Amino acid sequence: MNRIDDILTCNEALDLLEPYVDGDLSPAEAARLRSHLESCPACAAELALAERIQRELRSLPQLDCPPEIVERVRRQGAEVVPFRPRRMGLPLRVAAAAALLALSLGGGALFVRSQQQHQRERAAEIAQATAQARYALALLGRVSRRTGLDVRDEVLARRVVLPAARSISQSLSLSGVSRGAAPQPPVPDRGEQP
Amino acid sequence: MRKLFIPGLALVLLLAGTAARAEKPPSAQPGFVPLDELSLFPNDQLSTEINLNGAVLRLVAAATRDDPEFSQVMTGLQSINVQVFPLKGADADAIKTKINRAVHWLEDRGWKASVRVREKGEETYIYMKEDGGQIVGLTVLTFQPGEEASVINIAGRIDPAQIGRLGQKLKVPQLEKVPSKGKKPQ
Repeated sequence: MNRIDDILTCNEALDLLEPYVDGDLSPAEAARLRSHLESCPACAAELALAERIQRELRSLPQLDCPPEIVERVRRQGAEVVPFRPRRMGLPLRVAAAAALLALSLGGGALFVRSQQQHQRERAAEIAQATAQARYALALLGRVSRRTGLDVRDEVLARRVVLPAARSISQSLSLSGVSRGAAPQPPVPDRGEQP
Repeated sequence: MRKLFIPGLALVLLLAGTAARAEKPPSAQPGFVPLDELSLFPNDQLSTEINLNGAVLRLVAAATRDDPEFSQVMTGLQSINVQVFPLKGADADAIKTKINRAVHWLEDRGWKASVRVREKGEETYIYMKEDGGQIVGLTVLTFQPGEEASVINIAGRIDPAQIGRLGQKLKVPQLEKVPSKGKKPQ
């Protein structure tokens, strides 16, 4: 005996035909449909038609898709990847936020520490550079101290004493040359003098 | 056209700022002597080597404001390069030849000898380079048989009197404490 809620209308039966042919209905639903079909020739005819179409479709030869079409589809598939955000549950969101916060804090602390380390290294470098600059100047000072006397002698000798001596000797020799060039007046020989 | 104006202006300003900040390389400074090119001494046997460029020297100047004279000298300098080579056990004649070659190198490039001292085997040369009536380079070469040979090159705005005063103030023992590139100071 069929209960009243087991009875299907034709519209409901027609909706179930396709899944029935595909074998997708549960046993209870399939039984209800079969019960309706036994008493409804129109729906039974629809079922016969659906089954025939399926049979004929299955009997068609299976064609291979042309490779260029396969390639084109594959290319387009590779190019267009729709982004579908997944919705996270609240606990997952809280956990993710906490992880992000922890990462930010940790990263910030690391950044500050690396900055401090960098500043310390920089200060040490500057201190070393300062010491090296002082070293260079001190080395210059040592050279000038070491050569101070020599420099003074050198400067005095080369730039004052020697040029002065040279100019004196030059002027002396110049005057000597003029004397030599000019005809020497004969020295009167006192013995020849009358 | 109007769309291009603002990005164009920004680009020009950026380039101008970069050019203003950009510093000439040491080799472009007239008072700079490329010690590596001269290869006076074997690099791996130097007892001291100092290479300070303009950027570092400006940091030094900023860090030593408590010593105004030193800081002022540092502000004007573009580079300080020092090489000290111990002569003990080295081929002193070869080094002396190289120093003489360096002296010719300097003279060929317009450096003027300020001091040349040769006494008891020791040699000291102090050369200065002028540019536009101003001293822009100072190079000192020393050769002390049995001790050491050294070269000092200072490039930049130089006041020899000021540098001399500073050099006199700094005591020699201070030299010994300065660390060099991975080598023990002498």
